[in-house]
Amino acid sequence: MSDDLASRWYSPFELEVLQKAALLVVLCSIPVLWVVSLRENGELLVLLGMISGLLSFKALSRENRDFMMLSSALIMLLGSLFLYQATLRGVAMIDIWYSVILICSGGYGLWSLSSSHVSKWLNGRLGVEGAERGLARNRILRPRWAGIFTHALLLHFVFIVMVPILWIIDVSLSPGQTASGSLDLSAWTLTHFSSVLEKDDFWTWVSNSIIISIGTTLLGLLLAIPAGYAFSRHRFSGHGVMMFSLLLVQMFPGVIILVPYFMVMKSLGLLNSWLGLILAYSVTALPFCVWMLKGWFDTVPLDLEEAAALDGCGQFGIFWRIILPLSLPAIAVTALFSFLAAWNEFLLALMFNQSPDMYTLPVGLAFSITQAQKWGDFAAMSLLVSIPVVILFIVFQKSLIQGLSSGGVKG
Amino acid sequence: MRFIMAFALFFVLMTPIAAAQGFSVSSDGEVAGFKRVRVDVVFDSPPETGTLHFLVDGNNHSRVELSAGSSEGFANPAAGEWYDDCWTSNDSGLTWSPIHRDDHGIPSAFIVNQEDAAIRCDLTALPENQEALLTVSYSTDSGVESVELVVIASTIDVLPPPPPMAPILYAIGSIVLSIVVLFGWLRWKDRETRHRNGLAFVLPAVLALAILSFYPVAYGIMLSFTDAHDEALGDEEFNGIDNFVEVFSSEGFLRVMIFTLVWTIINVVFHVGVGGALAMLLQQKIRGKIAYRTMLLLPWAIPSYISVLVWKGMFHPEGMINWFLGTQTDFFSGVTEAQTMVILVNIWLGVPFMMMSISGALQSIPDDLHEAAKVEGVSDWGRLRHITLPLLKPTVMPLALMGFIWTFNMFNVIYLLTSGGPNLWSGPGGTDILITYVFDLVYEDGALGLAAAWSVVIFLMLMAFSWSLVKGGKATEAAT
Repeated sequence: MSDDLASRWYSPFELEVLQKAALLVVLCSIPVLWVVSLRENGELLVLLGMISGLLSFKALSRENRDFMMLSSALIMLLGSLFLYQATLRGVAMIDIWYSVILICSGGYGLWSLSSSHVSKWLNGRLGVEGAERGLARNRILRPRWAGIFTHALLLHFVFIVMVPILWIIDVSLSPGQTASGSLDLSAWTLTHFSSVLEKDDFWTWVSNSIIISIGTTLLGLLLAIPAGYAFSRHRFSGHGVMMFSLLLVQMFPGVIILVPYFMVMKSLGLLNSWLGLILAYSVTALPFCVWMLKGWFDTVPLDLEEAAALDGCGQFGIFWRIILPLSLPAIAVTALFSFLAAWNEFLLALMFNQSPDMYTLPVGLAFSITQAQKWGDFAAMSLLVSIPVVILFIVFQKSLIQGLSSGGVKG
Repeated sequence: MRFIMAFALFFVLMTPIAAAQGFSVSSDGEVAGFKRVRVDVVFDSPPETGTLHFLVDGNNHSRVELSAGSSEGFANPAAGEWYDDCWTSNDSGLTWSPIHRDDHGIPSAFIVNQEDAAIRCDLTALPENQEALLTVSYSTDSGVESVELVVIASTIDVLPPPPPMAPILYAIGSIVLSIVVLFGWLRWKDRETRHRNGLAFVLPAVLALAILSFYPVAYGIMLSFTDAHDEALGDEEFNGIDNFVEVFSSEGFLRVMIFTLVWTIINVVFHVGVGGALAMLLQQKIRGKIAYRTMLLLPWAIPSYISVLVWKGMFHPEGMINWFLGTQTDFFSGVTEAQTMVILVNIWLGVPFMMMSISGALQSIPDDLHEAAKVEGVSDWGRLRHITLPLLKPTVMPLALMGFIWTFNMFNVIYLLTSGGPNLWSGPGGTDILITYVFDLVYEDGALGLAAAWSVVIFLMLMAFSWSLVKGGKATEAAT
């Protein structure tokens, strides 16, 4: 009677872990099954692994101890067989990953089911005192396992994120222009970097991009700061309509402007020029910048201005001496935002500047790979282009997010 | 006699006129246009049924089927619609009429047994200013006759005359003028208030927006009712709703529409779902949180065109993914595979932004709520369901709407990964979404009016969707 009661309100944490492990086996088998079907061998093993995972997930209970042991052993065996079969034909990373999961899950099942505490519980010999001790044990085990799961999950995501980055570093340092980097560290060279840095094309693109991005930033700020200030401080006639039209522009999808934009630029003679792109980019970013700056100016207390006005400061003086210095952080983020938007923009640059000496970096890089397939040079160029941007992003991540969410959410 | 033969051979090689028994060929590399050579074949005697082949440097370039019978059931497209333009003549080349074509576009001439028959073809895409060996052969049941001659495509690019762009300048001028006048009037209205100078601060921004945002949009809507084409800019004519009829009746419309929706919805769901899950994982007290966060942020920080091109390299048949999976698959060959891959890459790109935004929103949820619920014995799932998600909703809904619009208009990923391919027989490619298809319409077909009509349709759909979402959001807010 007593042991029955104990088992009703207590079950060892291992069982919960086992349940998750069985689920994990099933979930991991699905993508592996797809990969294996691409290779056209070994489907049977994966299918068996999936079925036994599913069975042990379903049958996980106190009564089925022997079955649970058996299926754990089976999963472990399948994992080893899969690895063995993979080594016969050249082992790939995914084979190792899958068999490690199978072997670990199966092994953990065997180990935990045969541990003294769990087997006592399984046999119903635990008693109330044992169950109480078990509850204390669960409280220790739960956060530990939660931590392990969290880290394992995050590590997988980090892996998915980092693989392309590691790949590009590898390709940029490996000799040759193929898309497959060499893992041979001794063969690494810096030839791609030096050849890229010697190329005139690259420097043309860099200078075009820098000129256009800086021009966009300056022009955008020149237009956005006064507008944001006026929208924040003055309720002139037409205020509401103008604010609303700013929102409306933000909702226009780029496509609808694509064709007529091209024709307007053509008629203004601004195709294949810096100015055309500068105008286009600063206007595209303008509504967002105005909203962001208005949001900031709203937080600057009005008392300061009134005090300055009492002291005889003119309207422009107030703006120049008081508001601007106080708003430098917001202005910096706005500037960064327009700079990055212009630096990374692709579609308009592709449409407007079609002569090779006016390419921006995105267009030049894209063409260097779609036309020439020189992966090594491309990798070196991408690294050179991304590293400064990535550093900017990491340094300013918090302010960028705040700016984005305040401007975007209101918009 | 031998001398005459040698002279004839010399003549054949040096001048672009040559003759076989049944027909004579002449060519002209200057009249037909850029990288083109015009070839005239004049039959000396009424031709039999057969096929006329044009070979350039030994490679098949074009062919014309000659047959008896009538042209009934054959299309008669205008010049310029097909790769090589061809004409037929029944007066030895004095007057020409465009050739008929069958369903596959093969030119078919019905001039068998006609006197004075002739065929003219403009062969395109020849190397410019280089000698190429043109072989014209005529194969019939009774044998093959062929003629060789050397042709040069001289680079005369026939550009259309520059279109009149004055209307656009007039329009811009009048916009500037009317806005300045409007502002003057508003300023006069406000002359009594202290806000009167605010308008001057706003004027430059409003002018810039009016000229470079509102005017192009209005112009685009106007274009969508015209037959504007790249080759005849400036003399477009209104054609009513023809463009819209063509959009909705084209066979590709439904296909592109469905894939655009699938693409957008799957992407947004995964961006928000995975981003939210990661944000919650990173909300816990775990070791190395900052390191994780910074690494997971990277796809957002790297310029997106670079990441996309990097993924293109990784999906390359000899790239990283195949090495990793131990396969040799070309991931962009099939339509379904290519669609899956572009969606996967875009998910990779979009998750970090959502993660960062949602984790900002998570931090604003007070800890007390969770503590209180914990004390009450609410499970993890229950706290997520009843505390976190409802409190996240006001932040996540606008984010999801923004994500929807961005993904709907995401051009880089598909253009750079697949360019809309794999190509299907006609219309949009297998991975084309609306915006990439509009780009193709503009840059490959030059159909500006049609592209503008597509853009207007996209715009209306997006507006309708955003509006219903905002309204629905308000309705649910009011209900709860």
